[in-house]
Amino acid sequence: MRAVTLPRNVSDSSSPKYGNRAVVLVLVVATLVVFLAVFFARFVETFPYTLTSEVASQPRVVLAGTGGTETVIHLETVGSISSAIDFPKPNDPNQDWVSYLPTTTFKVPANSVVTVVIDQEDSASGLRNPFWSKAQGIIGPFHMKYFDQNGNPQEGDFTQLDDASTPAHTFGIPDLGVFVPLLGISDAAPAGSINQITFSFRVGKAGTYHWQCFVPCGSGTIYGNGGPMQTLGYMGGFLVVQ
Amino acid sequence: MATAAPCRRSATWAASWSSSKELNTPERTHTLRLAVAWAVLSVIGVVVAMQVNMPPGHQTQQAADESSLLSLMLILSTPVCIGVVLFILYSVFAFRRVPGSLDDGPSRRGNLRMQWAWTIVTALIVFTLAGIGINGLANSSNASTFSSSGGSLGTQTVGTSASDRLQVQVIAQQWYFTYRYPGYGGAESTHLVLPVNANIEFHVTSTDVIHSFWAYELGVKADANPGTDNITYATTTSTGSFTVRCAELCGIWHGNMFDTQGKVVSQGDFATWVADLQSSETGITLPPYAPEYFPSPRVKGT
Amino acid sequence: MSEVTSGATMLQPSVRRMSLPTNALTGLVLGVLGYWAGVQIGNGLGFNDSGNTGVLLGYALGSIMFLVGIGFATYPLGRLLGWQTPSQPAYDEYKGAWRYLNLSFDHKVIGIQYLIVMLMAMLFGGIGAMFVRTNLLSADTPIFPPDKYLTLVSMHSVLMIFVASAAIVGPFGNFFVPLMIGTNRMAFPRLEALSLWLVPPALVVMLLTPVFGGFQTGWTGYTPLSEQGGQGFDSYIVGFTLIGTALVVSGVNMLTTIITMRAPGMTWTRMPIFVWGVFSASILGTFAAPVLAAALCMQALDRSMNTSFYVSSNGGSPYLWQNLFWIFGHPEVYIFILPAFGIVMELIPHFARKPLWGYRTAVVGLLGVTLLSWFVWQHHLFVSGIAPALRPFYMLSTEMISIPTGIVFLVAFGTLWRARISLTVPMLFSLGFLYNFLIGGISGVFLSDVPSDITLHGSYFSMAHFHFTIVGGEIFAIVAAIYYWFPKMTGRMLNATAGKIHFWWMFISFNLAFTPLFAVGILDMPRRVSTYAPNLQGINDWVTIWAYVLFSSMVFFAGIVIWGWFFNPKLAVADPWHVRSIEWELATPLPRRNFERIPTFTRPPYDYGEGAPRPVIEHGAEPAPA
Repeated sequence: MRAVTLPRNVSDSSSPKYGNRAVVLVLVVATLVVFLAVFFARFVETFPYTLTSEVASQPRVVLAGTGGTETVIHLETVGSISSAIDFPKPNDPNQDWVSYLPTTTFKVPANSVVTVVIDQEDSASGLRNPFWSKAQGIIGPFHMKYFDQNGNPQEGDFTQLDDASTPAHTFGIPDLGVFVPLLGISDAAPAGSINQITFSFRVGKAGTYHWQCFVPCGSGTIYGNGGPMQTLGYMGGFLVVQ
Repeated sequence: MATAAPCRRSATWAASWSSSKELNTPERTHTLRLAVAWAVLSVIGVVVAMQVNMPPGHQTQQAADESSLLSLMLILSTPVCIGVVLFILYSVFAFRRVPGSLDDGPSRRGNLRMQWAWTIVTALIVFTLAGIGINGLANSSNASTFSSSGGSLGTQTVGTSASDRLQVQVIAQQWYFTYRYPGYGGAESTHLVLPVNANIEFHVTSTDVIHSFWAYELGVKADANPGTDNITYATTTSTGSFTVRCAELCGIWHGNMFDTQGKVVSQGDFATWVADLQSSETGITLPPYAPEYFPSPRVKGT
Repeated sequence: MSEVTSGATMLQPSVRRMSLPTNALTGLVLGVLGYWAGVQIGNGLGFNDSGNTGVLLGYALGSIMFLVGIGFATYPLGRLLGWQTPSQPAYDEYKGAWRYLNLSFDHKVIGIQYLIVMLMAMLFGGIGAMFVRTNLLSADTPIFPPDKYLTLVSMHSVLMIFVASAAIVGPFGNFFVPLMIGTNRMAFPRLEALSLWLVPPALVVMLLTPVFGGFQTGWTGYTPLSEQGGQGFDSYIVGFTLIGTALVVSGVNMLTTIITMRAPGMTWTRMPIFVWGVFSASILGTFAAPVLAAALCMQALDRSMNTSFYVSSNGGSPYLWQNLFWIFGHPEVYIFILPAFGIVMELIPHFARKPLWGYRTAVVGLLGVTLLSWFVWQHHLFVSGIAPALRPFYMLSTEMISIPTGIVFLVAFGTLWRARISLTVPMLFSLGFLYNFLIGGISGVFLSDVPSDITLHGSYFSMAHFHFTIVGGEIFAIVAAIYYWFPKMTGRMLNATAGKIHFWWMFISFNLAFTPLFAVGILDMPRRVSTYAPNLQGINDWVTIWAYVLFSSMVFFAGIVIWGWFFNPKLAVADPWHVRSIEWELATPLPRRNFERIPTFTRPPYDYGEGAPRPVIEHGAEPAPA
C-alpha cells in the first residue's frame, strides 16, 4: 500500500483557519434559517382569520323549545375585491380576484343552527353542472332580495334557481350536504346593486369541514378553477364547528 | 475470468486461509443451517400471513378477488423476505473478518448452475403471478360473469347486453363527485346508492381536471379524465356502506373530496330511493345525459 | 486547439485573452439581469396568458445568462472575435476554495462541486418533507393551508427528483469513472461542466416558485391541473427542462468516455461494476430526457399561447401528457437505481474481500433493466382508462423487469457467502440497501398486478414503495459512497464511530417511518392529501415522529461531513480501506494529472484471494495526453 504523499495543492504554510471556517458555517446556517423563517411566515402560514358567528337577534328558524342556539354569519361575494362594499380589503394582493369577504374560515357552535346572509354583488357566471341550481341541505327555502332580469327589485323564498346560467356563485359544504346557489346581478340592474341571499342549516358534532363555491369563477384559468378557486381565502375555506 | 471451482481446504491454494472456527465449518453445514432456519421461519411466517384479512373486503365480487390476490401475494412474499433477511444476518455473523487480519476470501467468481437456477426460479414465480393476474383480467371480458376484477376498461364495454346491469355515471368535478342514473331519467345525486346483487356498470368522467373515483369497499378505482368515458364494473354481493375518495391529485381540496355515505342497499330500498330522487328533481333542467361532457375551458372574463 | 497545461501558458505574447472576469458572482448578476430582460420581453409580447410567457422567458434567459456569466461563452465568443482564447480555464487560475465556485473542466473538481450542489438540493427537499409530514399530524384540522401544503409536497418531490437523477452519476461518476478506466479526463469536459452548472439554475428556479404562488400538481405535473395553476408552475417547466438537458449532456459525455477512452487492457469485462451502473443509467438518461423536454414544451405552449395539446375540450388530451411523461418517468426511476446497484455491487466485494460473484450476470442484469425499462411505463396508467388489451402486456413486462432487478441480490449473496466481511460504515449502508430494496422491490410486485393495483394505485402504498426504493435504496447507496470515497476525494477520513451511529439512527428511523405507510395505503388513504380518515391519525403521527428522527439523522450526517471536511485535520492515507481498486492505488490527494503515463490494466477487478496483492495497472511507456 502506498503511504501518504504530497502536500495539498493549496498553499497552507500556516495552519488552516478554523476560525474563519466556523464563521462561514455560522453565516451560512443563519442565512438558511432566515430564509426558512421568511418562507414560513410569508408563504406557508397564511391562514385567513377566523370569523366567529354571532348569536342571532332575530332567529329565522323556530326551534320550538329544543334549546339550541342560532348564530348568524354575514358574508359578501364580489367580482373583484377592489369593488367590495361591506368588507373592503385594501391590503389583499389580488385586488381583481373574485372573493368571499371578509374571510373564509368560520367558527360556529356545535349542535346549533347557522344562518348565513350573503350580499352577492358579482354578475352571473353560470353553473357548469346545473344540478347545483337546486338548494340542498338547508332548513326550508332560502330567502332572496334580488333584482330580476328587468332590473326590478324583488323578494321571495326559493328552493332552486330555474335558469342555470344565472348564478354567480354557490355556497357548498359537501360534508354536511349543504348546497345553495347565489343569484348573479342581472345586467339590467343599476350599478352597485346587491342580491341578498339568506339561508339556514344545522350543524352537528364538532369537527372541521371544508366549504367551497362550485361555480368555476376563476376567470382566465383553464376550466375556471384556478386562481381564486385554488387559493385558500377567496372561494373556499373551513367551517370549524366547536 | 474463469469460473473458479468451489474451493477446497488444500495446502496448494494460494491465498491464506483463516483459522477462524466459523470458516472451518464445511459449506454443507452453513447451507443446512440456513435452509432449516428458513424453512422453519417461513412456515411460521406463512401461517401468520394467512391470518391477515387483506382489504378491501367482500362487498363486491371484484373486491373479494382483489383481497384474495393481495393475500396470495403477502403469503408468497413472506418466505422471500425471510430468506433475504436471514441470509444477510447469517453472513454477517458467520463470515466475519477476523479483526485485524487482512485475509482474503476465496476467489469464486460465479457458479453457472446457481446463476441459471436463480434466474429460472425467479422467472417462474414472476410468470405465475403474471398468469394469475392475466387470468383474472381475461375473465372480466366474459359478458356473462363479472366474477373477476377488471379495473377500468377505457371506453370498451363488456359484452353487448346492457339490460342486466345498472348504469351509473360518476361525474368528477372540482371538488366533489356526483352520480347520475341514465336508466332513471338521468337523475343526479350527491351520494352513491347501489342495489345489492346487481351488476353495476360505472361510467366515470370529469368536467375539469383528472380525478379518480375510488370506491374503497367496492374495490373499484377508475380515473376520471375530462372528455373521456372510463368504464368499470362491479357486482355487489352484500349490503353495507362504503367510502368514495378521489385518488388523483386534483387541486386544493383533493383531500376533502370524499364521501363516507355511499351505500349498498336492498333492491327494494334502491327502487324507493331512486324514485324519490327523480321526483325531487322535477324542477331542475339537467343537461341531457351524455357519456362525456365538454365544458368550455375558458370562462367569463377571458 | 491549443491546450493550457500545468499553469504555464503556452500562448503567444501578443495574444489577447478575454478580459471579462467570469465566476459565480458574475453568473449570478448576469442571471438576474437576464431574468429581468426575459420578463420584460415576455410581457411585452402581449399574449393573453396571465403573465406565464414573461416568467418562462425570464427563467430561460436568466439561466442562459447565468451560464454565460459562469464562463461557458468565453471560448466561443473569443474564437468568434478571432482571439486566441484558451479553450478551458487554467487549472491554477483559482486557488483553494475559490476554485470550487468557478468554472473548471477538471473532472475531479466537477465531482466535488456536484457533490456540494446535490447535498444542498437534498437539504431543501428534506426541509420540504418535514413541512409535509407536519401538516399530516392532524387528520382534519389544517395546520397549513391546503393549497400551500400542495406546493410544499410539489417542491419536496421535485427537488428530490433532481437529487435522485444525478446524485451518483454527477459526483461519483464524474470523479471516479475516468480513474477507473484509466484516463486523465472525460471525452467532453465542457459538456461535463455544463451538466453540473445547469443544476444551480434549476434549483434556484424551483426555489422561486413560492414567490409566484407555488404549484399544485406534485412531481407528475398532470394536465390540465397544471395548466390551471398560476405562474408557479412555470418553475416546474423550466426546472425540469434544465435537469433534462443536464441528463442528456451528462449521458452523452459519460457514454462516449466509457466507450472510447478506456485504457489498454481495460476490456468491457474488466470494468468495475460501478462503471457499468453509470453506463446503463447514462443510456437511459440520454434517450429518455428528450421526451420530457418535448412534453414540457407543449405544456409551455399551452400556458403561454393558448394551444390545446392537453385540453380535451378543444381536441387535445390529458392522456398525451400522461403517456409522454411516463415514457420518460419510468426510465427515470431506473436512472435513479442503476448507479445505486453499481455502488452496492462495488462496495460489497471490497468489504467482503471476495471477488464479485457472477460479474457477467450482474452486467446482464443491469443491461436487462435498461432494455426492459422502456416497455413498462403504462403500469402507471392501469386505472386511467387505457385499452384493456394493453394491460396484460404491461403487467407481464413489469413483472419481468423484476427478474434482472433481483440479480443484484443473487450477486450480493454470492459475494457474501464464505467471505471475510468487515462491517465498515460503507458496508453497513450497503447491507441496509439490500434490506430496504427488498421491501421496495416486493411492494413493486404488489403494484404490478392489475387487480391488486386497483386498491393500491394512487394510495400511500405506492408512495411507500417508491420511498423504500429511492430513499432506502438510492439515498443509502449515496451515503455509502460518500463514506467510502470521501478519503479519496478530500484527503480526510470521516469519523467511523459517528458513521456507525448515523447508520443505525437512519436505518431504524427510516424503516419505522415508512413501513406503516404500506398499511395506511391499503387502508384507504390516497396520496397528496392534507386531510384523511380520523382513524388513521395515530399511524400518521407515528410516521411523522419517526420522519423527524430520520431528518435529524441526516442533519447529524451533515455535521459529520462538515466536521470531517473542514474542521478535522485527520488526513487519510492513500488506501485507508485496504482494498484493491485503481483509485486507491493512486496518491491522496490526487495529482492534477491522474496518470503521468497511460496505464495498462492487467488484472480483473476484485482480485481477492487470487494471489498476493499486485498493482491493478502497469504504468505504460507513453506520456499521457493532458
